[in-house]
Amino acid sequence: MMPAPMISARSPEQEQFAGALHDMLGAGAGGATTTGAARQWAAGDRAPGLGLWRELAGLGVTALTVPPQWGGLGASPLDLVVCCEEIGHHALPGPVAESLAAVPLLLTALCTEHLGTEGRRDEELCAGWLTRLADGDLLATLAMPPRLPYAVDADAAGLVLLASADTIRLATPGTRHQSVDGSRRLYEARGGRVVAHGPAVTEAIRRALTVGALASAAQLLGAGRALLEASVRHATLRTQFGRPVGAFQAVKHRLADVAIGLEFARPLLDAAAVALAGSCPTAGRDVSAAKVACADAAHQAARAALQVHGAIGYTREHDLSLWLTKVRALLPAWGTQAEHRAIVLAAVGGTGLIGTGSP
Amino acid sequence: MNIVVCVKQVPDTWAERKLKQGDATLDRESVDGLINELDEYAIEEALQIKEAHEGEVTVLTMGPQKASESIRKALSMGADKAVHLIDDALAGSDVLQTSYALAKVLENIGFDLIVLGAESTDARMGSMAAMLAERLSVPQLSLASKVEINGTAIKVNRQSEDGYWQVEAQLPAVISVVEKINEPRYPSFKGIMAAKKKPMQVMSCADAGIDTSLVGLANAATEVVDFTERPPRQAGTIVKDEGDGGNKAAEFLVTQKFI
Repeated sequence: MMPAPMISARSPEQEQFAGALHDMLGAGAGGATTTGAARQWAAGDRAPGLGLWRELAGLGVTALTVPPQWGGLGASPLDLVVCCEEIGHHALPGPVAESLAAVPLLLTALCTEHLGTEGRRDEELCAGWLTRLADGDLLATLAMPPRLPYAVDADAAGLVLLASADTIRLATPGTRHQSVDGSRRLYEARGGRVVAHGPAVTEAIRRALTVGALASAAQLLGAGRALLEASVRHATLRTQFGRPVGAFQAVKHRLADVAIGLEFARPLLDAAAVALAGSCPTAGRDVSAAKVACADAAHQAARAALQVHGAIGYTREHDLSLWLTKVRALLPAWGTQAEHRAIVLAAVGGTGLIGTGSP
Repeated sequence: MNIVVCVKQVPDTWAERKLKQGDATLDRESVDGLINELDEYAIEEALQIKEAHEGEVTVLTMGPQKASESIRKALSMGADKAVHLIDDALAGSDVLQTSYALAKVLENIGFDLIVLGAESTDARMGSMAAMLAERLSVPQLSLASKVEINGTAIKVNRQSEDGYWQVEAQLPAVISVVEKINEPRYPSFKGIMAAKKKPMQVMSCADAGIDTSLVGLANAATEVVDFTERPPRQAGTIVKDEGDGGNKAAEFLVTQKFI
């Protein structure tokens, strides 16, 4: 008997959108493949990667979370999740959770809740940025210390923000730090003029951290899927002792565990997106649970992929390295596993030995 | 301009395609279906013509319920409306019968220009443009790698083995396109959401005035008498290179008449 299919929160349209993104990112743009663009990005040449971002903008990706009055699509958090999962699936370089989720949310809050320190002037400024973000004309990034200490790809972004405690500042890229993922170029954000300040800003920053964590969880799940697919492909083709290595239980069971981890993480991810869409009071907890599950599943996929591939998995030349390093880098980004577990624990009334991570 | 694009749902090109043991028709249930790849170029060309000359793009398909997935793809790429000819009586129709059925629908819905992909990846007949043109008494301009429309005049570059022919005709006409002609767009988020609200007309044989005694497997002009499964791949010959590998490879190619 076939098992009952898991109820999916995703609509046929969302599945179709994921399919279109998969086709586009699989084909590449302007003669550049997505993996090639990720390598070039790491080497400091952003042209092929920006070409892919422009192509994605044509499909509406950069307009998803921007409200319609600024030329956006006002799409749901689940639409964002579907999109970020496919982006992670193809290891697209660039400030994904920042430019597609966190920055649009902060700018929107600034405009609609009138948080600008210089009133109308700042609101018009933010409206302009939102329009350019929606058009795919602007890449944005931000740092939100302590949870998000560095602004990823600040050198490639036209807009850098520094959001901390109750203040949002314009920022410029400071000292560069090395990420394990070469295609993530980390910069300290040097704060400039204050564009918003006050208790309402604290609340907006909290929401931006939540939506950013959701987007990165989706990216992780997509990366985990890519790692599983690559491992299955390799285990089917590579033979040892006269049969494909995937025929051996040690390999087969390991990959089955990976598949189960990813399958069980997805409902948490989708449920968190749905909770966020309905401004559900548990949304923060749900996003934390999703981030923990997706990061765990992706990390398990990465470790299994490395072993299943054998020595070739350790080489930089093999594309596997792009996903291995991205998973390692995204795992603690937007809140470590311990921080997110503490949020879940606190929400269910427990008191842990570890702090919440936020001062 | 009223542009109609005919699309076909085909089994995924990457899946193994098989004939069914019972009636020797293509097994469509056991594999994923998708829109025939060349039809995406036809849709793209129709959309570009519409964008340059105004008008409306209708997508037409004949096939079981599953074929509506292909319609949805075409609508999300930007086609304006769709007609789905669906009737159990049509199952197993060959290319002649399909052209008859499609022509009937096309007479019903009207057209200035019919755009097709050059062939389907499953049956690969590549003759639909000619058959539709004949049945509808309009000119056919097949294998187009470039299309220009000026008023009611249509000019295409017709792909040939060693270059192209320039062919001209007056609208209404049927064209088929090759993959060189354009780069099909991906459905955008907006396009996908808008497709939900676009009109889709479902037609049966009776609605289209199709005589059911002329269509379907039992009445087909062609018949698959017998078929055998492709034999499993044989193990190749392994030649150990002892300094004469080049010669041995050349000898092999000679025996196969490659050189």
